[in-house]
Amino acid sequence: MANIAYSQRSSTFKRVAVYITGRLVMMFATVVIGVFLTILIANMGGYVDEIQRGIIREDVSQAANQNLSLRSLTSEERMHWVNEQIILREKQLGLDKPFMVRAVKFMKDALTLNLGRAQRMTSDKGSQMVRDIILERLPPTLILFGISGLLLFVVEIWIALGLSRHYGGFWDKLFVFLAPASTSPAWFYGIFLILIFAAMLGILPFGGMMDAPVPDNWVDYTLSLLRHMILPLVAVTLSQIFLNTYNWRTFFLIYSNEDYVEMAKAKGLPSRVIEREYIMRPTLPTIITSFALTLIGLWQGFIIMETVFNWPGMGRAYFQAVQFFDVPVIVGMTVINAYMLAITMFILDFIYAILDPRVQVANQGGNQ
Amino acid sequence: MTNQPLLEISDLVMHFRTSQGPVQAVDHVSFRLNPQRAVVILGESGCGKSSLAKAILRMLPNNIGAYSGKVFLNGTDVMSLGDEEFRRSVRWVQMSLVPQAAMNALNPVIRVGHQVAEPFMFHNSAQRKQAMELVKQMFHYVGVPADFISRYPFELSGGMRQRVALAMALVTSPSLVILDEPTSALDLLTQSNIMNVLKRNKAELGTSYILITHDVATSSELADDIAVMYAGQIVETGDAEAFFGQPLHPYSKMLMASVPRLRTDVEPDFISGQPPSLISPPSGCRFAARCPSRFDKCTLEPPSAIKEWRTVKCWLYQ
Repeated sequence: MANIAYSQRSSTFKRVAVYITGRLVMMFATVVIGVFLTILIANMGGYVDEIQRGIIREDVSQAANQNLSLRSLTSEERMHWVNEQIILREKQLGLDKPFMVRAVKFMKDALTLNLGRAQRMTSDKGSQMVRDIILERLPPTLILFGISGLLLFVVEIWIALGLSRHYGGFWDKLFVFLAPASTSPAWFYGIFLILIFAAMLGILPFGGMMDAPVPDNWVDYTLSLLRHMILPLVAVTLSQIFLNTYNWRTFFLIYSNEDYVEMAKAKGLPSRVIEREYIMRPTLPTIITSFALTLIGLWQGFIIMETVFNWPGMGRAYFQAVQFFDVPVIVGMTVINAYMLAITMFILDFIYAILDPRVQVANQGGNQ
Repeated sequence: MTNQPLLEISDLVMHFRTSQGPVQAVDHVSFRLNPQRAVVILGESGCGKSSLAKAILRMLPNNIGAYSGKVFLNGTDVMSLGDEEFRRSVRWVQMSLVPQAAMNALNPVIRVGHQVAEPFMFHNSAQRKQAMELVKQMFHYVGVPADFISRYPFELSGGMRQRVALAMALVTSPSLVILDEPTSALDLLTQSNIMNVLKRNKAELGTSYILITHDVATSSELADDIAVMYAGQIVETGDAEAFFGQPLHPYSKMLMASVPRLRTDVEPDFISGQPPSLISPPSGCRFAARCPSRFDKCTLEPPSAIKEWRTVKCWLYQ
């Protein structure tokens, strides 16, 4: 018996390991390509270099005009001085090398999180380092979207199971009826929620993450954070819950008509075991996929969401960086974003591989 | 009474609701089964055989309509038990099922060994280790290699899955096993292997079977009794030897005539026409439209006549 248990474990381990390694390579390649494309786009395919060259030339010529010590030089000598200065400044910025060479270097720096200095933005503490700006903005985003994602996932599955148990009942009909409400994005609901609960009723804050004098003890701090999170959470919930629950309840219904569920009933298993092992387990891979897509959707919507709710996270910083055309910040944030997405997907893939034994059978040559 | 029947069904009714009206899938079915015997329920597709199995095991679909009658199992009327009581004391404890398509009857994400062990673990409150030991024995008994215990259903061939389903049905040693076309999708060798396992199990452990099939030839190996089902009703019951020697009901006669035989020149015959719709069956004898020996009285509901320990639902024997 012991060796069977051992071989079970080792076969699962081998299968998951092979699968995970493959996914890891794929995901890293995706991140590399994504970051490289961002660098190309943020630099307008190298055209930003031309703009910068122009700016340097203008600066230097102006400096030359204003520099009294240069007045005595002949115009040729002055031209020479200007050109030397330009070459020096371009060399400082690395503009003397071709764009593609520098793009690859940018990418290497970006991937190793050597993110450099912002051109215009600063962190709240006054640092110009892109890394500091991002580290300051990342936690609020993670708190908001992490909590809303996980919370919604658990609640949605729980409701969906309940609905599938009472198929055709009042709540089931209500959720099916409300499913189209989830086609509007979270920020759309956000605007109305702010209007009602902050502007009209005045019981919840308009936005932000903290009360103005930041509370000094952690109880008040947490309470203030929770109070500020209510509206964003409700907005995300409204934009997700009905459609997702409807989806998953339908999955559960389809899967609970499978022959093996009938069989489990005939075997006289308790209904909680049937629900867990025969309805939830086989559907979980599908649900995990759907959850992954939802999370990506949340990540994509966070720029507008954070702007609407004045949430001091990555999304709002991203928006500001785009307005300032601060290339290092844009690239830095994209890299962090890409990494976060890749990590999310990786974790979900890992869970998927453990849950579904059919994953990657093809690679094992029929497993005979 | 010394020879109390293992299973006695009387007036079992199971209808399904549809938009066109109730489907009378099982319509006033009665028969009895003594311990250590195998009854074969014969009939063509769509005559309600599988529904009968479901009705006995109380596996009711969502669109269940009328569901009534009496089912005595080892002397208790299991129809009067509550759902929870039925689950605890009947399902897989006293009777189990080998499903028609074992392909889909196994959970794709759970190892087959565990699935076979499950009923034993729940009904006999056994530890996992003890249950797995038993599963190993069962696998050996039905001819599945022991290392298949840790495989997933998709790693098994059709024949192996059917054997696993059989092992699953026998693991709690119930007194009655319902076999719903257990061999219909398998090759002849696997078929006869499984039939041998069933025969051995019956001889050694005294298990009774209800074998549901349309395959007259294979069923004759195992059958002690025969019940012929037509359009939701049982039209003939009787001892297998007597039945195969001389079927009584015109439908049974034609059914037997359709079976190819060795060592005779008799060409297999066929039954013309279609079975009636179960939504609005004819008011009289349901076989009348296809019957070669029908006469005026056949438009009236036929009685169950008893002849030499056999019952037959036909006016010819009145």
